Amino acid sequence: MNDMPARVLRRMLAERSLVRLAVLTLAVLIVFSLVSSTYFTVINFQSMGFQVAEVGLLSLAVMLAMLTGGIDLSIISVANIAGIVTAQLFKSTGAATAEPGQAFAMTVGFILIGLFAGTVCGVLNGLLITRLRITPILATLGTLQLLNGIAIIWTGGQAVYGTPNVFLNIGIASIGLVPVPVLVLLTAAVGTAVFVNRTGMGLRLRLIGANPTAARYSGLNNDRVLMVTYVASAFLSSLAGIIIAARSASANADYGVSYLLLAIVIVVLGGVNPMGGYGTVTGVVLSAFVLQMVSSGFNMVGYSSFAYQIAQGAILIGVMSLSALARRYHVEGRSTLLNRWRRTEPSTAQPPEGKRDEEAHQPS
Amino acid sequence: MSWFSSTLRGVPLARLRGGNNEGVLVLSIAILSVAIGLATPSFWSLGTLLNVSTNSLTNLVFAMGVLIVIISGGINVSFAAIGIFAGYSVIVLANSTGFGASAAWVGFAIAAGIGLGLGMLNAAAIAGLRLPTLIVTLGTQGIIRGALLSVIGSKVIPNYPPGLDNLSTNYLITAQGAASQGAGATRLSVLIIPAILICVLVSLLLRYTMVGRGIYAIGGDAESARRTGFPVVSIQVFIYALAGILAGIAGMMHVTQVRLANPYELVGGELDVIAAVVLGGASIFGGKGSVAGTVLGVVLIALIKSSLILLGVPGSWQRAAVGLLLLIGVTAQALSAGVQRRRIDLLAESAP
Repeated sequence: MNDMPARVLRRMLAERSLVRLAVLTLAVLIVFSLVSSTYFTVINFQSMGFQVAEVGLLSLAVMLAMLTGGIDLSIISVANIAGIVTAQLFKSTGAATAEPGQAFAMTVGFILIGLFAGTVCGVLNGLLITRLRITPILATLGTLQLLNGIAIIWTGGQAVYGTPNVFLNIGIASIGLVPVPVLVLLTAAVGTAVFVNRTGMGLRLRLIGANPTAARYSGLNNDRVLMVTYVASAFLSSLAGIIIAARSASANADYGVSYLLLAIVIVVLGGVNPMGGYGTVTGVVLSAFVLQMVSSGFNMVGYSSFAYQIAQGAILIGVMSLSALARRYHVEGRSTLLNRWRRTEPSTAQPPEGKRDEEAHQPS
Repeated sequence: MSWFSSTLRGVPLARLRGGNNEGVLVLSIAILSVAIGLATPSFWSLGTLLNVSTNSLTNLVFAMGVLIVIISGGINVSFAAIGIFAGYSVIVLANSTGFGASAAWVGFAIAAGIGLGLGMLNAAAIAGLRLPTLIVTLGTQGIIRGALLSVIGSKVIPNYPPGLDNLSTNYLITAQGAASQGAGATRLSVLIIPAILICVLVSLLLRYTMVGRGIYAIGGDAESARRTGFPVVSIQVFIYALAGILAGIAGMMHVTQVRLANPYELVGGELDVIAAVVLGGASIFGGKGSVAGTVLGVVLIALIKSSLILLGVPGSWQRAAVGLLLLIGVTAQALSAGVQRRRIDLLAESAP
């Protein structure tokens, strides 16, 4: 009998991110629609769509690293490297003045090269983390600085212009009512979801996040999984970099610096456990849209971008605090000294719990 | 830079290395100085010494705050936001109300108080709710910077209250600039005295007080520390409160030194400080680190930055150089940790 409230709470906790997000989405919609008459319009949602893609992709990148219990702080630098490589290629070949057919071929080729360059940065992260055994925070902090530095040296701190119109369309065109960047984001999200949930590599990735030692003793090659994770993360970041370049018609070493905090806020709000092991792509994408809605609403009400920065920080700490309080209530029942200090997630303690439930059900 | 990495790795004098690679750092600094001195003779001047000291002064105080957090097993990325918030607010306050306008120490006391308050934000979330330190401090960084720019002000303020204005032009030593550099006189701010004092105090705190030993103990293993009888939560509150105070003071020093209160400054430069602390031998996993190592790390980074300028390398290379330096430093650390771990593994496997 005593178990009932805990079990109900656990059910809620299992779905907590999605329930919370759905409620939050509704609340944000209602509040801003009341405040501004132009909020709930197709045009506004389209303009949000153009903005949400780049940070949504960056969030997916952070999510992958976080699922393994690590973090990727170098996302912005990687994105800018991809954007700058592509833009420099356009600039040096004079693609802006090329014939349409030629420009199209160049665009496809140069985007691929840009994506490749960004992904190579992910290999660098992966090597630092798996071969040299540097903690992900420090390794990606270092590459954040190093890659950003390289980008500054290469561009001299100036924006790189000279992209052809075909390329710009990626950032400004719509198919039907849906902006192209949103399509890119959704495609990438489906791809990430399939990768994380339907492939063996995705399962291993989550296992490592849940318990790296157990994963190693189960015969998993942790290093290979981590390498794939950081390469995939860099690929998603590079995709974001291409969209940033297409949207702003230029590439710069300092674009999107404020996205790092935002991406981490989105991922945590989306219900990904920062210690690794748990998270859903749906949650992350939904939370990217919610935050974009907040940002757009703030804009309409006339708040500055700094107020949005406060909101981001407050949401991040607020969400973490709420789940910490819920977790504390949750574990208090069988609180041991270890539980209090190990900062373990309930999920690691759940399997035996679930088993016991099944056993209890079987006789009846 | 390849010679540099080989220096870091190939030092055979294990005993001179020091507990936190201090010896390696001293050697790196010495070799770097000789190399640059050979390339540009003007390097060997009092001016360079004063320049490096003046440039590393603020980072030194920031680094002390970061050091205690890292020793305790956490990481702090909000210190720069706290620093500029405190420094800028003091100038705004003194200019608008005249409070603390005449005496500089009042300004520093207010900055320290603001830092303490903002540090308690971190303390509440980290010690109270046991949230991951990186995520909490990222969040508070956003909140603090956002609050500074949207509430306190977003304009650059050139006019200072008389007390701080006097302090900013109070120099300990002045060296006439070498004609070859074309620069004017190089000066050492009197603020170096409180900076050094703070380093000494933090060193004493870490070495000789129960709280200090507690910080190492928590970083080593929080649960063990708790069972040994350390009040873990109180010590964590102390750590983030002190880190806030130090950040407030450092921010005030920065604002005083540059004589132009710019609320957009400092944030974004966190990595220089974290890199210095990590290069100084502090382990990101906690339980390891020293004031001496951190001071050397700060000096090394300031030296590299100023020598890049002396060697005629464009300023745009600085960012990449610090990133590379950090990666080299952590690689060296990770490799030596790997060797130790392998030894332990072998012992464990050979046991029956």
